Amino acid sequence: MTNFRHITVTVVFVLILCSIGSAGAIRFPPPEFESGYELPDTTVPNPRPGIYDYIDTIVLVLALGLSSYLVLKKRSRKAIFALTVFSLIYFGFYRRGCVCSIGAIQNIVLSFFDPGYAVPFVVLLFFLLPLVFTVFFGRTFCAAVCPLGAIQDVVLLRPFSVPSWLENGLRLLAYVYLGAAVLFAATGSAFIICRYDPFVSFFRLSGNVNVLILGVCFLIVGMFIGRPYCRFFCPYGVILRQLSRISKWRVTITPDECIKCRLCEDSCPFGAVKKPVEQWPAKEYDRSKKRLALLIVLLPILIFFGGWAGYGLRTTTAKVHATVRLAERVRLEETGKVEGTTDASDAFRSTGTETSELYDDASNIRARFGLGGWIFGGFVGFVIGMKLIGVSIWRKRTDYEADRASCLACGRCFEYCPREHLRRKKDSTSQNITAEESDKAEFKSGGGR
Amino acid sequence: MTVNSDSTSRISGAANQWYASAVSTAIVGAVFSLIILVLLVSNFIRSSVIQAQREQELINQKVEIQNRPGDEQLLERIRRLDLQYRQNLFRNLDFMRKGAYLLLGSVVITLIGFKGASSLKKRMPTLQPAADRLTEQVCDAKFSRLAVTAGIVVLGFGALLLAVRPEIAFFETIQLDTSIPSPEQISKNWPRFRGPEGLGISAYTNVPDHWDVKTGEGILWKTEVPLAGMNSPVVWEDRVFLSGGDPNSLEVYCFDAFDGRLLWTGSVGRLSMRNDNESLDVMEDTGYAAPTVATDGRRIYAIFATGVVGSFDFDGNKIWEKDLGMPDNMYGYACSLAMFENLLLIQNDQGYVEDEKSVFIALESFSGRTIWQAKRPVASSWTSPIVAQIDGRYQLITCSNPLVIAYNPADGTELWRADCLGADVAPSPIYANGLVFVIEPHMNTLAIRPDGSGDVTETHIAYKIDFAPDICSPVSNGEMLFLLSTDGLLCCYKTEDGTKLWEKEMGEYFQSSPSVVGDKLYLLSEEGVMFIAEVEPEYKEVAKIALGEKCFASPAFADGRIYIRGRKNLYCIGN
Repeated sequence: MTNFRHITVTVVFVLILCSIGSAGAIRFPPPEFESGYELPDTTVPNPRPGIYDYIDTIVLVLALGLSSYLVLKKRSRKAIFALTVFSLIYFGFYRRGCVCSIGAIQNIVLSFFDPGYAVPFVVLLFFLLPLVFTVFFGRTFCAAVCPLGAIQDVVLLRPFSVPSWLENGLRLLAYVYLGAAVLFAATGSAFIICRYDPFVSFFRLSGNVNVLILGVCFLIVGMFIGRPYCRFFCPYGVILRQLSRISKWRVTITPDECIKCRLCEDSCPFGAVKKPVEQWPAKEYDRSKKRLALLIVLLPILIFFGGWAGYGLRTTTAKVHATVRLAERVRLEETGKVEGTTDASDAFRSTGTETSELYDDASNIRARFGLGGWIFGGFVGFVIGMKLIGVSIWRKRTDYEADRASCLACGRCFEYCPREHLRRKKDSTSQNITAEESDKAEFKSGGGR
Repeated sequence: MTVNSDSTSRISGAANQWYASAVSTAIVGAVFSLIILVLLVSNFIRSSVIQAQREQELINQKVEIQNRPGDEQLLERIRRLDLQYRQNLFRNLDFMRKGAYLLLGSVVITLIGFKGASSLKKRMPTLQPAADRLTEQVCDAKFSRLAVTAGIVVLGFGALLLAVRPEIAFFETIQLDTSIPSPEQISKNWPRFRGPEGLGISAYTNVPDHWDVKTGEGILWKTEVPLAGMNSPVVWEDRVFLSGGDPNSLEVYCFDAFDGRLLWTGSVGRLSMRNDNESLDVMEDTGYAAPTVATDGRRIYAIFATGVVGSFDFDGNKIWEKDLGMPDNMYGYACSLAMFENLLLIQNDQGYVEDEKSVFIALESFSGRTIWQAKRPVASSWTSPIVAQIDGRYQLITCSNPLVIAYNPADGTELWRADCLGADVAPSPIYANGLVFVIEPHMNTLAIRPDGSGDVTETHIAYKIDFAPDICSPVSNGEMLFLLSTDGLLCCYKTEDGTKLWEKEMGEYFQSSPSVVGDKLYLLSEEGVMFIAEVEPEYKEVAKIALGEKCFASPAFADGRIYIRGRKNLYCIGN
């Protein structure tokens, strides 16, 4: 019965979301009037008043503050979930997923490499504020503020745990995605995080059908695997992971001490509860030391080969840039290797610009992708090397802990801890006692006459 | 998490009712969602199919109305269909929009139901027997390393797949032949409109002066040309080149000079297939391929009515293509190409003088790169430029309304100009006996001394002849100047002073320009009659041979051969 229910929900969800997006794909030509009717001038809607940018920023600050309070002080999963729903509605459906902290990475990167590009104030804050809060309070942005995390959180129905070794492998994707996003933004080619944002079609009830299908797939998987986009793809999450490692305060499963009852072992749908680690056997420890030394030596080699592979991809990655695509198309047309023309090549020719100029531009962009490819590939090689080193290092742990990097601060583990229940009971009792004492004091002072 | 729903589920009696309500809500929401979904999907499919059919029908009828512009009934049907199409489209869009909101709402209700039910029926954690923690840790680390290694393999393989894609080279280092033909090579061939220097003079005197199309005598071969064109044949050694075009294709043809086989067809000017090209309304007199191609013996160059220039090597490989933009030309673009060393010379006159659109362009022949451009304060013209060696230096001579302008062909520097032309200038200039002859249609033929600089209007016009053809270019054997009007009046003048020697009414209409072969004059009429005459001291007809096909192009002369383009066929006449 349970399985049937999940299958039904899954099927319904897929079809529903597909049909939601299909409405946005329909286009039609303007009417052709032959009676002298003149089509009115196209008008552009007025830009959103600037005051809303400030409101968005204030809402973000409040949401981050509230999230941090609910996670660290209140320790209430229900309240966190309520804030999650609010964020989904406000930052997701009302603000239509934009501005988004995840996509803001690209604006920031582009501003470093393109002197003519100024980062809007609100984008800068959306990028920085979650980072600042993470440094102090852990990933409270992921917990209940990010709309992309929120939509995945609300559809999580029956979580299954992903083995930690598989999670370690899949997590590489987020680093590659981050590197690619930075590469394409730095070269002024594309904002791929925005282009392939899998959930923006839902927030806008419109969009590219392929991206919509991608989003549907994420949500279906997200019913059973907790927040797949956040864990395995989110490029902003990569940055938050690293900052969260050094956060001043962070989520703890237990409010005070861990009694090692093991009740929280399977409480986290994101695999962020770390079990106590005992002393490795001596034989394994020796092997692991040798392995570690080997991996440290291997690190620069991985960086070099990663960079070399990235450089080798320059021709392919450069195609993402519109100028390179146009130049290649024009070249193919000129050499008769393709038939027909495209709107872009027609438009280019109508400018009267020399093709040699276009080719020069495209060649320069390819060269930039060559350099960028070295850096991108080197970064990926570095991440892989560090990951191999990371999983080869033995870290002693005595208690059940929320992993500093992986914990999304959702608060699901709180109520699995008996110490948490005790704390709540104490809080409740102390509140009652305080109320009784207050009544007594009032009575003594004459309130009971 | 391992779950034992029977033993670990915790739900009170009161909560049981809430749980049942939550499940019911979820089910109702899911069913409602499903119903809306089915409606939406069916509407989407139905509208896609029906709208697609209706749209196709509309397109067909719109095409049909172009053929029957006065058909009011058809027009009314189109309007009705267009209205229906739009009404349905907007109705469907409205339906989809409302349906999407309803779906979103019902999905939210479904999720609330499921979430509520699951929160009411909590599953308590069940402790599994404690595993061997050490083994678990070691295995976990080991599998993690394997997973990361697998990630390396996948990423490496993906990178390899992407990296092996062929690179499109923008500046291919193919062996481009940048050599230029020698003057001897040029003079032995017919590399452009009206021969080596554009003067209509054959270097060979052994060309046939009699043939018979009916018996086949003297006809070496005859080959149908795929697409029509007003341009003239160009010959380089064993190749004959032409171009042709229609609204869909613009092509260059290479024929074997020995047997007339079509060796290859090159396609250029794909812009002719653009939508906006529907506005290109070419005249029958010019068509899509009026300009004659040019060759330097390395490559062949062609320009079309769309303003697209293409270059092919002698094997038919396209070397480059360039769009100069749709010419603003009321009768259609017709200026033939000329060459100077490694430069392809294009007279791109457009619009009216005040439009300031006219420009002369010199492209690098092997790359298509623009070497120089010169703005021209002239209106549209239909003449072809010539490059003449005058007093040891080369002059690029151009005619248009109102100026004759001479440039240095190497860099586009203006050498001199004369303000002496008007109307729609079509005949091309020639250089003979130290004078440049230009024609102001229906008005005058002017002889200009080309040794001046700056504005030579008042100082260097040697004389005027009060007779001027409107289409055919003049020809001269040095001593005599021959002018042929479209209606068939052939006049002969002394080049020295413009004295009229004789005139002859040919009785035919002419559009192709006359040519001089040795001491004979060759005139090809519109009806395809070739007049061959001796010209001294007066007109003496040697032969009059009917081709049996209309002709508008000028013939090309080679060693013992004449190539004539008829309306449909290319003829090779030889001994």
